[in-house]
Amino acid sequence: MKRNIIISVFSLLALCVASVAMAAGPLTVDIHGPGQRMVNITLLPPKGLDDSQVPSAPAKAFEELVANNLSYIPFLKIVPISTLLGGDPSTGVKGVDIDYKPMRLARIDLAMTTGWNGSYIEARVFETFSGRRVVGKSYNDVGAMTLAQAADRFCSAFLEELTGKKGFFDSPIAFVRQENKTKEIFTVLPQGRELRRITKLGGFNLSPAWSTDGTKIAFTHIGRTRHELGIYDSTTKKITMMTKGLGQTVISPVFGPSDRLIVALNRNGSTNIHELDGSFKPKKMLARSPYIDVSPSFDRTGSKMAFTSGRAGNPHIYMMDMKSGKVRRVTTTGKYNTHPCLSPNGRYLAYTHRTSNGHRIYLHDLTTGREKQITFGPGNDEYPAFGPDGYFVAFSSSRSGEYKLYLSTRHGDTPRKISTGKGQAFAPAWDTALQR
Amino acid sequence: MKSRWSLAIMVIFALALVVSAGCAKKKTTSTPPDPQVEIKDDTKWTPPPPPVEPKVDEAALAAEAEVRAKSEAVEELTSVTIHFGFDSYELSEESRAILALKANIMRKYDDVRVVIEGHCDERGTEEYNLALGERRARAAYEHLVILGVNPERMSIVSFGEERPINPAHTEIAWEENRRSEFVVQ
Repeated sequence: MKRNIIISVFSLLALCVASVAMAAGPLTVDIHGPGQRMVNITLLPPKGLDDSQVPSAPAKAFEELVANNLSYIPFLKIVPISTLLGGDPSTGVKGVDIDYKPMRLARIDLAMTTGWNGSYIEARVFETFSGRRVVGKSYNDVGAMTLAQAADRFCSAFLEELTGKKGFFDSPIAFVRQENKTKEIFTVLPQGRELRRITKLGGFNLSPAWSTDGTKIAFTHIGRTRHELGIYDSTTKKITMMTKGLGQTVISPVFGPSDRLIVALNRNGSTNIHELDGSFKPKKMLARSPYIDVSPSFDRTGSKMAFTSGRAGNPHIYMMDMKSGKVRRVTTTGKYNTHPCLSPNGRYLAYTHRTSNGHRIYLHDLTTGREKQITFGPGNDEYPAFGPDGYFVAFSSSRSGEYKLYLSTRHGDTPRKISTGKGQAFAPAWDTALQR
Repeated sequence: MKSRWSLAIMVIFALALVVSAGCAKKKTTSTPPDPQVEIKDDTKWTPPPPPVEPKVDEAALAAEAEVRAKSEAVEELTSVTIHFGFDSYELSEESRAILALKANIMRKYDDVRVVIEGHCDERGTEEYNLALGERRARAAYEHLVILGVNPERMSIVSFGEERPINPAHTEIAWEENRRSEFVVQ
């Protein structure tokens, strides 16, 4: 009997505790909501694990990498530890080693701890309100080369916990870079690292697009007398050029449903979107019209295709249902709407809208039909590209006097420049493979 | 015998009439008598030197002239570009006239092959401009085909906005950049 009472009292207590915790709820950020709240985070000083010393140089480098990565997240604000009353509130890296009170007073929502033991790192983020561990990861054999990778992986895991979407820090962006009179294709991570050259073909290499698994990049090559279809394979590091049966014009190749190439060709007098077969021969025409059709863009399932068409007299954005072949017009305002990009989940459509002050990026919500401007110049803002999360939007802008890549979000957050090295940068295309 | 005499008399009379008529005419004329000009020429006539045998033969000369004429024609074919309105691939009257001249040259020199390039100004966006440039090149191509140029001798390439001839960001520069160019291969 006595035992039963003790059990019931305990279970009642447990229930109370649970309900309090439920009321607070874990901290998440709804990136698909109408807006977002600012989340304050502080990076607590690194600690030695198992009485070892903190290696000061790599620890500092790691903290800087994480801080730089997090600075790309528009809803995260890094609060320096110096603003806390009483200084460092932690004695170790685990939840029990942290005094959350001064952080709660300073309105800090999240605290990150880092523990070091030689080349072994443990990194955690805690909620200051509940003490809940948001994310905890450990990395072995972290050297100078792999430090950045560890920082990227950790930040990606952290962001995934917060937003439910993965892949931001480790999904590369392919883009076009001007080199004297030629344009070549490169890739870079959104946080501006791992800049890699893909082509060195001369001429103009334009419109890069990723395969759904992120192993291939298709692009247009313009030589002196014709266009060619180029395909880069990252597994073999080889580029294959295709011309046969494609005609003189190859515009905006993308990988469509089942990774088949979809590309605008001109085979009978007008530029139309064609589906190619496995051996890169035109198989069928999509959304046939006697006018210009270019720039196809697909969602991850490949069930919907957005594209630009001149069928109404001016270029506008249209959607085609791949199953029924039915085409409907999406944009109705303005006289020049081009370069659509569908979000991976197919809900949002970003495109370039020409205004009297230059091009701007607009966002169309396909479920509600609502539209809004998400970039504001100056100069031209062009080539929107959704990230794997459908939250970030990369684009190219001439706001600084020359075209460079920038990062904003679906909500139109203040753009951040992506460092891409020397030369103008155009046509970002984001690898969304991690969103499967 | 009598009739012979009368015939002789008639002849004499007729002659007299002619002479008297001539005299009468001379009397009415007011032109002075021709002045007598004495031509004196002391120089001795020397025959012109016999024509020098040409060092190059006629055929080579003609060929050279032909080459020059052809290079001038090619120059004319490539130096004149045709221009378009914003977001348009319609051929203007002026463009048609230029294309007619080009067609003449193309028909005359039937071994000349051209690449027709389509170009756009920077105001549009890249991919749509590539298609628009293609349309511009194709408009010129199709017009030349109508004017009797063998389509096999022409090909099309669009550069979109990649190769402006005037890099400025002005109305005039944009007008210059919206064009079809003809490159002889």
